[in-house]
Amino acid sequence: MTIQATLSWLEATPLSLAIAESAWLFPTLEAIHVIGLTLVVGLIAVVDLRLLGVASLTWRAGDLNRTILPLTWSAFGLAALSGGLMFTGKPSSYLANPFFVGKLALLALAGLNMTLFHHFLSPRVEAVDGAVASSAVKTSAAASLVLWISIVALGRWIGFTI
Amino acid sequence: MSSASTPPFTAALSAFASWLGKTPLYDAVAGVTWVVPTVQTLHILAIAVVFASAALIDLRILGLVDASKPIEALLTRFLRPVGAAVAILAVTGLLLIASEPSRAIFRVVFWVKLALVLAVSLATWWLGFAARRRGLAATEGGVATLDLKIIAALSLITWLAIIVAGRWIGYAVAWDGAPQ
Repeated sequence: MTIQATLSWLEATPLSLAIAESAWLFPTLEAIHVIGLTLVVGLIAVVDLRLLGVASLTWRAGDLNRTILPLTWSAFGLAALSGGLMFTGKPSSYLANPFFVGKLALLALAGLNMTLFHHFLSPRVEAVDGAVASSAVKTSAAASLVLWISIVALGRWIGFTI
Repeated sequence: MSSASTPPFTAALSAFASWLGKTPLYDAVAGVTWVVPTVQTLHILAIAVVFASAALIDLRILGLVDASKPIEALLTRFLRPVGAAVAILAVTGLLLIASEPSRAIFRVVFWVKLALVLAVSLATWWLGFAARRRGLAATEGGVATLDLKIIAALSLITWLAIIVAGRWIGYAVAWDGAPQ
């Protein structure tokens, strides 16, 4: 099936039609999306600011990460699910929107940054408890902050251009 | 649309809205297309700071996250960002009202949201005050007493309601007698 055929099929599903036509479904999904994304961004910022040595210095970075990570994943699940459903309402329009495509690209970069951090940098953060993080760790944390702030901005721009 | 039957509150708000629409502030925020999405982005980022900070405090008081740190440590770390971000929310919120003076303030849900913000601000202040003042009495062995837990749970629910109300401002219709 081509992408176009898949999108046409998706747009004809009862779920897609319901989201596109219901007066309350889309605002409800948006509200859930805001709840999920503000928690994700706020919680990730707490960890990033700790790694940058800006705040939460009385916490061990590893402890803070372990406390916050499960909550962040739950919130991300909520944001991804509500976002996916919002997309389902008008898939062709979203895919044709440069801000939406840009947002997906930055989400992929944020995921890559996080994966690299956990594989290569996280063990070193555990080892240097209390000490100043390496420049690699700080670079990863700063990239994370910039990426998530940009993701929020692109998300808001989608609302004005879709 | 100011007729003799216009209620005083609506009339006062209408006067405020038409005054706001003639200020340089209105020209600054409504005249440029990228200003409103930018201010909204700042508003959402400030919500992220407030909500994540408040959630960590409330969940810690409820005993649902990392109990190895005392409640006081979380209050010391997260109460100040909440205050700073609430100030940013007030400023960006005011700018958003200025961009469309006849919109948000004529929706019931906007005033409900403001009332909830006031309530949760007082509750958060009380949590910080009570937990610090009473010390171990409020947090025996790192576990909060029931009154703190109830206020923390109510605060968390109120933050959720505030976010939902905020999103609903964009969809709600104006009350009768509001300017068109």
